[in-house]
Amino acid sequence: MATGLDQLKHIVVLMMENRSFDHMLGSLTAVNPQIDGITAGLSNPDTTGAMVPPQPLAEFQGQLDPDPDHHFPAVDLQIFGGDTSPGRQANMQGFVKSYFNQQRDVGHSQKIMYYFAQNQLPVLTTLALEFAVFNRWFASIPGPTICNRAFAHYGTSFGQVGMNVFYVMEPYKSIYDRMIAAGHTAKIYYYDTTSSTMEVVNLLQNEPKLFGTYQQFLSDCASGSLPEYSFVEPNYSDHDGDDGEEVASDQHPDHNVQAGEAFIASVYNAVKQSPLWPNTALLVVYDEHGGIYDHVPPPNCSPNAPDGFTASANDTGLGVPFAFDRLGVRVPAILISPWVPSGTVVSGRVFEHASIPATVTKFFLGSYAQRTAREAAADTFVDLISLDVMRQDCPDFG
Amino acid sequence: MPTKPTPPQSAINKDRPVNTLLKMQMEHLHVAEKRLPLRHHTDIYVNAIKTEGEAAEYIRRVTEAIHAAHAEAAAKRARKGVISIAAEADEGAERKRGKKKGKDKGKS
Repeated sequence: MATGLDQLKHIVVLMMENRSFDHMLGSLTAVNPQIDGITAGLSNPDTTGAMVPPQPLAEFQGQLDPDPDHHFPAVDLQIFGGDTSPGRQANMQGFVKSYFNQQRDVGHSQKIMYYFAQNQLPVLTTLALEFAVFNRWFASIPGPTICNRAFAHYGTSFGQVGMNVFYVMEPYKSIYDRMIAAGHTAKIYYYDTTSSTMEVVNLLQNEPKLFGTYQQFLSDCASGSLPEYSFVEPNYSDHDGDDGEEVASDQHPDHNVQAGEAFIASVYNAVKQSPLWPNTALLVVYDEHGGIYDHVPPPNCSPNAPDGFTASANDTGLGVPFAFDRLGVRVPAILISPWVPSGTVVSGRVFEHASIPATVTKFFLGSYAQRTAREAAADTFVDLISLDVMRQDCPDFG
Repeated sequence: MPTKPTPPQSAINKDRPVNTLLKMQMEHLHVAEKRLPLRHHTDIYVNAIKTEGEAAEYIRRVTEAIHAAHAEAAAKRARKGVISIAAEADEGAERKRGKKKGKDKGKS
C-alpha cells in the first residue's frame, strides 16, 4: 500500500450541478491530449441539418436560459439523436435538436455546444491538471438531479429516473447510515438552512442530525474534526443570508458559473488549510450534464451487476421501461489529495455515482453485503492516492 | 497563484423564476412539512411561489421546522426518560420505606 493511502482517514465529496465534461473541461485536451475533451471534427446537427461544432463561447450566466432539458426523454434524444429503433447506438447527436425543442430558435439551440475556455475556469481546470481528472465518470442515470444524487447516497435510485419523491427500500441503507451503524462518522453539509439539501424526504426528514451547514464544514476543517465521510452541497439559490445576500454556487443553469468556481476554491482551500490535509481526499464531481453537450457515448452497465430496479414505461416518458442498464452523460470529476500525482488522467476505467458509496464502503467498512450488485461492482477510486511522498507543490487559490 | 473568481453583483437575482430543481426541492419539503406536527406547519402556499427568493424563504422555514420538530421530540424523549427514571427511583424508595415500616412493625 502506498504511504498516501496509509494516511487516508477522511473522504470529502463535493457534488455540483448540471454541467457536462466537455462544457467545463473539454478545453484541456489542448493542454494535455490525454484528457478526452474537445477535438476537431466533433459536431451536432441543428434542425436545418447544418453541423454545429463545439466552440469556446460559453458564458458564465444568461446563455443557457431556459435551463436545458435534462429529463429522461430529452436525454434519450441527446444521446441517440432521435433514433428510437431497437438496435440503436448512442451517437451524442441530439443535443442541439433537444435544446431547439424548448424555444424553436435555431441560433439559440446552438449554444448548447458551447464550452468554457481554460482561462475562464481557473479553479476547476487547475485542479484537473494538478490532480487526477477522470476521463470516464458518468452520471448514473440519463436523467435529472434527484435520481442521480440518490446514487451518490444509496448506490441506487430505487427505480426512479426523475425528480419524484422516493423512499428507501430495505435492505439498502444510505452510506451515512452504513457508516454510523458501524461506529464510523459521516455527515452531509448543506450550504445553509435556506439552501438546504436535495435529500429531503429520507435523510433530512428522518435524520436531520446527519446534517451540518457549510460554516460548520469550514469550522470542522479548521479544527481538524471532519467526520470520516463528508458530502458537501453547494448553495442552490440566490437568497438573503445572515451576512447579506448569498449567490447560488451550484452552477445549475442559469446560476453564475464563477460563483461555483469560487465555492469549489473555498472547499479546496478549507481542506488544504486543514490539519487533516495529509489525511483527506476530496472528490469534486457534478451530478449530471444538465442537457449540455458531451461527445462520449455513455456505456451500458454490466448485465452481471444489475441495479435490480426497473422504471416503468410511464415513468421514463418514452413508452418503454428502463432497467438501469445504461449510464448517463459524462460529467467532470476530479480527485484531489497531496498524495495524487500531478497531471493524473484516469483512463480506461468507468466510474459513476455508485462509485462514491462503493469507495466509501470499501475503504471504511470493508465487505458489506446489503447493497445492489451494481454498487458492489462499481469501480472505486482511492487507489489513485498512489504517492509515497506527500506533495508540497499543490496549488493555492488566492 | 490562481485567483479565485468573484462573480459580479449582478449575478444575484432573487426574482429569478424558480427552476425545476428548486420546484422539486419545495415539493419534497412540502411532503415533509405535511408530516410535521401542525404547530410546525408554515402558512405558505407552495403553488404561489414564483421566485427564487420566495422559494428560499419556504425552504428555510421548513428545514428549520424539521430540525425544531426533531429537537422537540428528542427533548420529550429525554424528559420521559428522566421522569421514568425518577418514577422508578420513587417506587424503589417507596418499597424500601414499606419494607422498613414492616420490619419496624414486627419489632414493636
